[in-house]
Parts: sequence; C-alpha cells; structure tokens
Amino acid sequence: MSKQNPSSLRLHTRLAADIGGTFTDVAAFDEKTGRMLLGKALSTPRNMVEGISTGVAKAGTTYAEASLFLHGSTVAINTMLERTGAKTALITTEGFRDVYEIGRINRPDAYNLFFKKHVPLVERALRFEIKERMTAEGEAYIPLDEASVHAVCDKLAKLDIEAVAILLLHCYRNPEHEQRVRAIVEKRLPKAFVSASHELSQEYREFERTSTVVANAFIGPRVSRYIAGINDHIRSSGFKGSFLVVQSTGGLYESHQAQVQCVRMLESGPAAGVIGARALCHEMGLGDAVAFDMGGTTAKAGVIYKGEVLTTGAALIGGYNQALPVQIAMVDVFEVGTGGGSIALVDESGALRVGPQSSGAEPGPACYGRGGQLPTVTDANLVLGRLGADRFLGGEMKLDVKAAEKAIYEHIAKPLGVDVIHAADGILRIATTAMSYAVKAVSTERGLDAAAFSLIAYGGAGPLHASAIAREIGQQTLIVPRAPGHFCAFGMLYSDLRYDYVKTWFTRLDDAPFAEIEKIYEGMISEGKAALASSGIKPTRVTIGYAVDMRYVGQEHPVTVDLSPTVFKRRDRESIKHHFDEVHQQRYGTCAPDERAEIVSLRATVTGVMKKPPLEKIARGSKAPPAGAHRGKRSVYFAELGKAVATPTFARDELRAGNRIDGPALIEEYASTTVLLPGDKLRVDEFGNLVIEVGKRSK
Amino acid sequence: MKSKKAGKPQPDAVLTEIIRNGVLAVTEEMKTNLTRTAYNMIIYEALDFTVGLYTPEGETISIGLGLPMFIRGMAETVKAKLAHFGVKGLRPGDILVTNDSYITGSHLNHFTFTLPIFHEGKLSAFACCMAHWMDVGGVLGGLTTDIYSEGLQIPILKYQDAGVVNQDLVDIIAMNVRVPERGLGDLRAQITALKTGERRFLELLDRYGREEVLGAVRNIMDQSEAAARGRTRSIPDGTYEAESFMDDDGVDIGKRIPINVRIIKAGDEMTIDLTGVSAQVRGGFNSGATTGYGCAQVAYKCITSPTDYPINEGSFRALKVVLSPGTVVTAVRPAAMRVWMTFPMTVVDTALKAMEQAVPERTIAAHHADLLVGIFNGVAPADGRFYLGDLGPTGGGWGAKHNEDGMCATVCMNDGDTHNSPCEQVEAKYPVLFKRHALRDDSGGAGRHRGGLGSEKAVIARARMNISVRVDRVHCPPWGLQGGMAGMGNKLTLTLDGKEIDDLPNAKVYGRPIKAGDGWSLFAGGGGGFGPPHERAAAKVAHDVRQGYVSRQAAHDIYGVELNEQGGVDEYATRRLRLKSA
Repeated sequence: MSKQNPSSLRLHTRLAADIGGTFTDVAAFDEKTGRMLLGKALSTPRNMVEGISTGVAKAGTTYAEASLFLHGSTVAINTMLERTGAKTALITTEGFRDVYEIGRINRPDAYNLFFKKHVPLVERALRFEIKERMTAEGEAYIPLDEASVHAVCDKLAKLDIEAVAILLLHCYRNPEHEQRVRAIVEKRLPKAFVSASHELSQEYREFERTSTVVANAFIGPRVSRYIAGINDHIRSSGFKGSFLVVQSTGGLYESHQAQVQCVRMLESGPAAGVIGARALCHEMGLGDAVAFDMGGTTAKAGVIYKGEVLTTGAALIGGYNQALPVQIAMVDVFEVGTGGGSIALVDESGALRVGPQSSGAEPGPACYGRGGQLPTVTDANLVLGRLGADRFLGGEMKLDVKAAEKAIYEHIAKPLGVDVIHAADGILRIATTAMSYAVKAVSTERGLDAAAFSLIAYGGAGPLHASAIAREIGQQTLIVPRAPGHFCAFGMLYSDLRYDYVKTWFTRLDDAPFAEIEKIYEGMISEGKAALASSGIKPTRVTIGYAVDMRYVGQEHPVTVDLSPTVFKRRDRESIKHHFDEVHQQRYGTCAPDERAEIVSLRATVTGVMKKPPLEKIARGSKAPPAGAHRGKRSVYFAELGKAVATPTFARDELRAGNRIDGPALIEEYASTTVLLPGDKLRVDEFGNLVIEVGKRSK
Repeated sequence: MKSKKAGKPQPDAVLTEIIRNGVLAVTEEMKTNLTRTAYNMIIYEALDFTVGLYTPEGETISIGLGLPMFIRGMAETVKAKLAHFGVKGLRPGDILVTNDSYITGSHLNHFTFTLPIFHEGKLSAFACCMAHWMDVGGVLGGLTTDIYSEGLQIPILKYQDAGVVNQDLVDIIAMNVRVPERGLGDLRAQITALKTGERRFLELLDRYGREEVLGAVRNIMDQSEAAARGRTRSIPDGTYEAESFMDDDGVDIGKRIPINVRIIKAGDEMTIDLTGVSAQVRGGFNSGATTGYGCAQVAYKCITSPTDYPINEGSFRALKVVLSPGTVVTAVRPAAMRVWMTFPMTVVDTALKAMEQAVPERTIAAHHADLLVGIFNGVAPADGRFYLGDLGPTGGGWGAKHNEDGMCATVCMNDGDTHNSPCEQVEAKYPVLFKRHALRDDSGGAGRHRGGLGSEKAVIARARMNISVRVDRVHCPPWGLQGGMAGMGNKLTLTLDGKEIDDLPNAKVYGRPIKAGDGWSLFAGGGGGFGPPHERAAAKVAHDVRQGYVSRQAAHDIYGVELNEQGGVDEYATRRLRLKSA
C-alpha cells in the first residue's frame, strides 16, 4: 500500500473497528512505532460511527494517520434478524414462488405441536413469477418471455418496492435469463436495489439460493447506506486511505463491493476473531486450535486445522429451527446458548438447569443491579470470587455481591437444600460441561479430536471459563491472547482481501470435460482478479485456491476437496479421485475407492495477501511477576480444592514476558478475567499472550 | 457435594444435570457418527435411523432421533434381545442383531444392532442403533401381501460373539440384498455408532462412578416422570374417544380401514387404548405392537413434555397402553409391513383429536399424515444405466391450534428433521422436470385459526419410466377441531397423453409405466382449522386473500368476509354476512 500512495509517510496506522451489540472495539497498529493501540467504547446504535470515533480517540490515534480502515459490523445480521430491511420483492420462475416459503419442510422439534417454521423476508404477495425455464443442463426449456418481466415491473413500480431479488431455476448452469431480467428491472426501477442470485451463489439448491439473494436485497439498501455514511464520516475526518470491510470468511473486500454484496458481511465479527486466532497460531507455531469466544448471551467456537480456518459453504441465520439459510462461504462458527447472562433455575421436576434463557444486557445478571432478579453464570462467578466486585470493566462498573447471593440462594440453594457456594459452583460446572460437549461436537462432526487441539479463549467471558472447559475436553494448552476483549478488531489486522466463487457443474468424474472445467475456473479467477483490481489495493501477492465439491454417485452430500491446479492441467482423474477418497475417509471415517465419484461444484478463492503487522512484543521480565502486577489476594472457591482459598490476583497489563504464575490465581484486565485453576501453569510469552499448561482434572 | 446415604449413592442435582447433558451428548455423538459414516442417503438425508442408550434392564436412558415414530422400537428390541440371551448369555465384545419386523414393529429395512456395555466386568448399559437399509431383498417396488415377499429376515442373533464377527451371517446378508456393498457399508456405520456410544458412556462411568451415573440416570427418569405426571394431572379426568379411517390397503381398493382411539385419564395417569383400530390388512400397511406402543407414546409426549425433557423411560411411566394382537398397529406374522409408517401417523392424529375434549389448548387439528414420496425407476437416457429415483418427501399442512394457524408445507409426524430434495438436485439426477412446486391455495382448513397449506409437486417425465406412489388419507382429509373445518385431503393425479386423470379411486399406483411427456402430481393435504371460521378476524382473512392462501370466494362463502375492490374488509357487508349464517 505504501508504494502506491505518495502520502504514505503520513499514513502509518492501520485502523480496525469491530462493532458488537454492547461495545465498539478499535485496534490500531502503528507501523512507525510497531505498537498496538486499543480503544473500547459503548456502541451507539442510532449512529454507529460515533462509537467508532470515540474508540479511535480512546486508542489515541486519528483517521488522518490511517492508511487502512478495516471494519466489521453487526449491521447486516441485525437488519436481517430484526427484520428492519427494505420493502423487497422476489422475481422467480413460474411455478416456484412458494419455494421460499416451503423451505426444506423439516421439523427439528419432533414432538412439539407448536413448532414454528422460518418466516420469509418477502411475503407471498410480493413474490412474482415470470415465464421462462432452464433445464439442469442449462438449456432454455421455455424461452424468457420479456413481456412477463415487464408486466411484473409494472406492478412493482406501483408498490414502492425498494429492493428486488431475482432467482431463476438452474441459473448456476446458465445465468442468461437472470442477467436479462436484471437488466430489465434495473432499467424499469432505476432507484431499486437489484440483486440476482447468480452474482452471489452459482450453487444448486433453489431454496437456499432464494433465501441468499432475498437476504441480500432485503438488507442491501440499509447496509449500503450505512457503509456510505461511515465512508463520508471518516473521509470528512481526514481519512485518505482504503476502507475495507470484513466478510464472513474473515477475508476483506472493498467498501464499494460491500455495498452491493452485503450478505457477505453477515458474520464479520465472529469471523475476524477466528482469523485473529489463526494469526496467533502462525506466530506461535500451532497447527490445530479451537477459537473460543464467549460473551454475554452465547459462546462461539471456530476451528483452525493444520493452520487454516475451517469454512463452510452455507450458514443458517436465526437459529436452526427457523433458520433462513445463506449459501455463501463463511467461517464455520458453532454457537452454544451459554453465556455470562445464562439463567440458572430449578424446574418443576427439581432439575437444575442453566440456560438457554438469558438475562441479556437488560436487565442483565442480578449483580448488575439493573432489576435482574434471576441468578446467572456471571452471578455464580461473582459469588465464588472469580469476578471482583470492584474490578469489573476496570472498576467502571460495580457489581452487587449481595444481590447475586440472594438470587442464587432463593432460586437455587434453597430449593435444592444446599449452600450458596455449592449452588454457584454447580451452576458453573453445568455451564462448563455443556460448553465442552458443544466444542467436542463441533470437532466430531469434522472427524477431528478436540482433545488434541489448543484452546484460544477470548471475548469478555471466555478466559473466565476456558481452563475448566479445556480440562473437561482434555486439552493441554490454553492461550488467552493479549486484549481478549478486543480480539475481533485485532484479528482484522491479520486479514487478507478475499473473493470466493462457486459454480455447480454436475458431471461424473469419469466423463469430466476438463477443457470446460478449466474455462470455468479461468472465468472465476479473472472475475476475482478484476474485483481485486477494483479494490484499488495492491497486495503483496495474489494466491488462488482451487477446490471441488465431490460425492460418490448416489450420495446427496458432497465434501469439498482442495486441489492443486496441476491435477486439472494434467487431467489426472485418478489423482482427483484419490484426493476425494482421502478427504472422505478423514471426514467420515469411511471411503469407497471402488465406487464412482461425481463433481458437484467447482470453487475458486482469489486472495490478495496483505502485509501483516508483526505482533507487538512486550517488555521482558523475570520468572516472578513484577511487584506492580500484584493486586492482593481474594477468597475464591475452587471445587478442585473443595474450599475457598486466598487467591492471588494480578494486573495483566503489568505482567512481563517470561513471568510465570501457578494456579490458583486470577489475571485481571479491563474487560476480562482469566481464571487459573489449581494445577494450571501459566507463562507470559514475548507477545504478552497468556500460555497456560492446563492441569489434569481430578477425575 | 455427594451426600452418601445408606446403600446406593444419591447423586445431587448438579451431577444429575451434568449426566443428563452427558447422556444426551453421547447419543448426539452416536447420531453424528452414524450419519457421517452411513452410506445410503435415507440415513443421512432422510434421517431414517435412531440411536440410543438403555439401562441393563432395557429401559431407555436417552435417544438420538432420527425417526420420531421409532420412539419405542429400540427399547422393545433391546428387551427382546435381553430376554433371548439372558444376562448370562451376554459377554463383552458381543453385538446383537435383528431386523424381525414383529419385534421392531416396522419394516425389514430397519436393521437394529445392540452392544452390551460392560464396565469393570458388569453389564452397565446397552448401546443400540437402528438404521434404514436401502434394500433388504424382496419384491422390487411392487405390492406385497406377506412378509416373505418383503425380503430377508434375520432373527435375533449375535452379529459379533465376544469380538468375533459371524461371517456366515454376513455372507447370507450379502447374497440376499440388492446392493450388498451399501447394506454392509451401513452396517459398519451402525457398528461405529455403537462403539462411539460405548466409549463415551464408559468415559462417564470412569469419570463419575458407575453407581453415581446409574443413580443420576434414575434421577433423570424420575424428573421426567414427575414432569409428565404433573402435566397429566392437569388434564381433566374422563374418557375421551375419537375415530378416523384410512383409504384402503392398496389391495382391496376403496375398503375403508377404521382407526378408533380411546383415552382414559385418571389422576396423574393416562391409558391409551388402541384395541379399536382395524384388524391387520393384506397390503403392506401394517406395523407391529412396538409401533402400537410408539403411537401412544408419541401422542403422550406431545401432550406432556414436547421439548423440555429428554425421551427416557421415566417420561412414560404414567402411561398405560392397551393393545390387542392382530391389528394394523399390532400385526402378527405373516402380515406385510413394508409401508409400516403411514397408518400410525393417523393413529397419533386421532389420539390428539380425542384430547380435544379434554385439553383443547394443548392439542392440534389433524395434518396430512403421509410422507408423499414419489418413487420411480427406469433407464437413464444419459448413460443407459438403470436408476431408482425419488422426489423426496412433500410437505403438507399441519393443523391449527387454539392460539395460532397451522404450519404450511411441513413434513409429517413420522419424520422430524427430514429435509425435502431440491428440484434442481432431482432434475440434475433423474430425467424428470418439475412444472411446479407450490403451496395449494385454499387447502388449509378454515377456522378461527386456519390450518396450514399443503403443497404440490407436479412433475413431467422426460423419458419412459415406472412410477410408484403409496399415499393415503385422500378420503379422510385432515379434520378441524372446535368447529374448525377440514383441510383438503392428499391427492394424486396423472397426466397421460396430455390428459389429466384426477379421479383415481385412491392415491396408490404400483410400478405404473409412463412415457416421456406424461407426468404426475402429488398434492399434500392442508391442516385442519381450529374454531369456527366466522370467528376468524376479518383482517386476517383479508390478509390471507391478499397472500393468495385463501380465495376471495372462500373468504365469502366459508369465512363470511366480504372484501372491497382494494382487498380491504367491507365491514358492513361482512357483519351482515356473518349475522345471516349465525
């Protein structure tokens, strides 16, 4: 970047801003000093850019100094979940306007007579059909009747439609009809936000593709206004660099591209955290890790395997039961309904349950003193001494121990006939085991063994529970990165420009037309390079990833197989088949070398590799933490010891590289507390990460 | 935290909850490992399987679904195997098998394997896994009238005896099923699931102690029982009855098959009496007594603890089921069982109808109660190979409830998390072309709360093929409750030589040849309505008309709502219309 910009000497920082539900986090890397600057501010939902500016100021930097502004935001996902998007219409193939409402017809809660399906973002009255039909081979079975498109446009013009989504069957094989319909609609409705499905996903499955293109159209107007607003604001505040947005893959794209393909930024925050975890793995020489992010209402886990983030080709937005699918590449993030705000209760049958109900930010845990009466995980942490009543958010928010004790006593301890400490410990044990089962499940689905992975814990509540979870899973190494409360913003600084393409192309491997396949790859790659060029950024290098979704003939689910381009150039069917068998074996535990295989979809990823800031090193110290790091002792209950013990607490910011601390101990910082259990051994590495050798669980 | 009283340990609430989550995680992991290693898509796409953990007595600890209607199938199979060999006849390294239809209560495709779990030499639990094999031999696609025409039958045997696989059995299976490598592939997936269950359950026993875990399991069952009893107690005492019928058994066309259900509720106990369902039939629509129990358990679970308590033996302690042998849900040899899943869904629907009189706010109007799968075979023009194709299940309308409309286009009671097949996928695989995949307007039963709409799949053959459809509930459409009206029934139409045939006597065709350009349409019924249609808010009716769920004519004739030209409610005309018919 510095090469292309004559004013590079002045533009010496990279700014990253992550907007979450409660906080806006800013991380800035100063290339001149090699320092990482951090700022945290309350999110300002009515005008998000205010929170960003406050965070930038708190970090002690300015927009004018920045060469890059990297941004992740919940605006896209919130617009979708809160259904506050545009008035949207769908144009689709005759006979298929209900596909979006029918969905996949499954009933996950099998015995619940009051189950609920997904609710489409576009009501039936605004779903219009046109005369045309492609076959699976991409031939026009019924030619496009343009008069039928105009007839729909006549109606749309009268309905004040703000956004139009276009989905035609088999457009992944031949997008001509979709392209033509898009051209007509754009001409007829010049003010509308128009989105055609093949621009987002050229993968089969009409319901999923419909849901994807509708989501993009629905959130499009609002998200593009939002990005334009931020752009105007930072430009007028002196920003002269490039404005990039984080996608759900963790890759970056230019803000103009984000204003068109809005649905690609749905999960930008969680994805950035996993990218940060990957950067940490590279720096520390770790291959396999689980990235664990726990906040107020949920915990999220992503997987880094052999140094790469595991991604998925689709995600379900809004919870499994009523999900609206989005069929684009994403970091595979698994969510568990356990967070600091999870409510504990004793139910009608005498069972003690923790979650999935959450007290949310309002009224919040009982100890917040904002009217919450029910005991939560956070209350249990406070009662056991793991959280300090006057140390929360650097002491900016006082916690009410009495209120926490009262809630736990009345709702848990009294009905169960145990004391408050045992009740609080029970709440944590249940939450811990629930989260550890979830983390194990994520890896089992991938054919991986979580016990062999390191755990990287961040988010406000992650470091509080991570050691207990790691023990439960049998993991030996836990890493709490520097500034775990800013980790998603930190991760953005380690991201690359990235463009993902997929195209369904059904063919038996035996008759695969390689010349055509190469042409498809070339098309996707030149599209990716064009997108890269239009971002205006000159990356240090460009890499291209090739993959193919394959399955055995007769199977339904394909698996994605990464392939080197040479196997295509060599037209090496055997080698492709062999790779596929291997991946199938690893992922599913079986393979069938004698069965024929077929290709379902081709995938290409074009990456513009960015120069990464080196991790900032902290000052070195001796084995013993410096005197200034000691913050006295407080009484903390540990089930491992069966009692409360006076436990030393340390100020994280005062620790030095090389310091060692044995559990039990607490390491406190502005937005988080790391719990070291008895038997844990911590050392501070040269970058200020807490590297913890996890003790064995007692049994 | 352990309070050791005399005798067996009494695990506290915390350990109990940890074990509750723990056994659920075990069965979920068994499920994951089965679906990810299974070979045929009926297992991993249609989720036609069930995995579970059982006590040494064969009582259900936890089930991973799978197939909701198979709620009982494995417990009975485990008990039958235990009775067959006795505790003394079981050794570490044993794996037991059967596909006996009259034990599992279902069809021969349901191969069921059971692994006794030994901890420090003591039988401590069973892991069990049923999965639907794609083919078990027998008549291909056609009509069956006895079990012998339906394929290979395996009595209770040891597939593995103290670690040694019974190769004779494997060879017999390999010679009797059409695609042995797939069947045996699924067998391996099932064994993987069992071993996952064994390993993970033993981890729990090692971690927390055998007696503690089994004690916690007893607590979990007691909690489920307490919850179920509490919710049963709140149902008014009394005897509640309902009846319905099936179209026919595919052999005696037009001969209705009565389904009568009687429920007696007294105190915190419930008795479900299914002696009033029809005697077993000739066509393959029978199921075994296990499924008779299953029907009662499904209905009971829906009414008492649908989501907040896991399925275990305790959930059903307060339920008594009365059956008599030889009915369509207690069929005895040599009844044909291939389409076992269809009638039981209507039995459940009928039980929920009986509950209308007792707890209308907890029950639901009827649904389409059929999978509506269209299967076909032929030789693919593309490669000249024989293929077996299917359109996947079709979503129908579910019934309305006291407080809300029914869901549209959703899979029937037999299946849970089963997905349909994308049209784009089916068309890429087989020589068919979908004309429509759409909701059926006006199919939802009218009511204060409207039944969900069914859906339609209209398909054209692009080459010569043979089609089979085995759909019921054409003539007994999904009924409404509390004055709500019935939805439209299921339906099949054929298009032959450009002419639509929509007056078939039922919705069953077996291996019917059709040629390119011919087609067929599957129509899933709509759910029943709840409450009188005239009590539906006129604004909601106007909304339904605007969306096209309800026609203007139906709004007028059935709901008594007059709409103006803009589609808004004509309040005055509506009041008059509703008064007139009141």
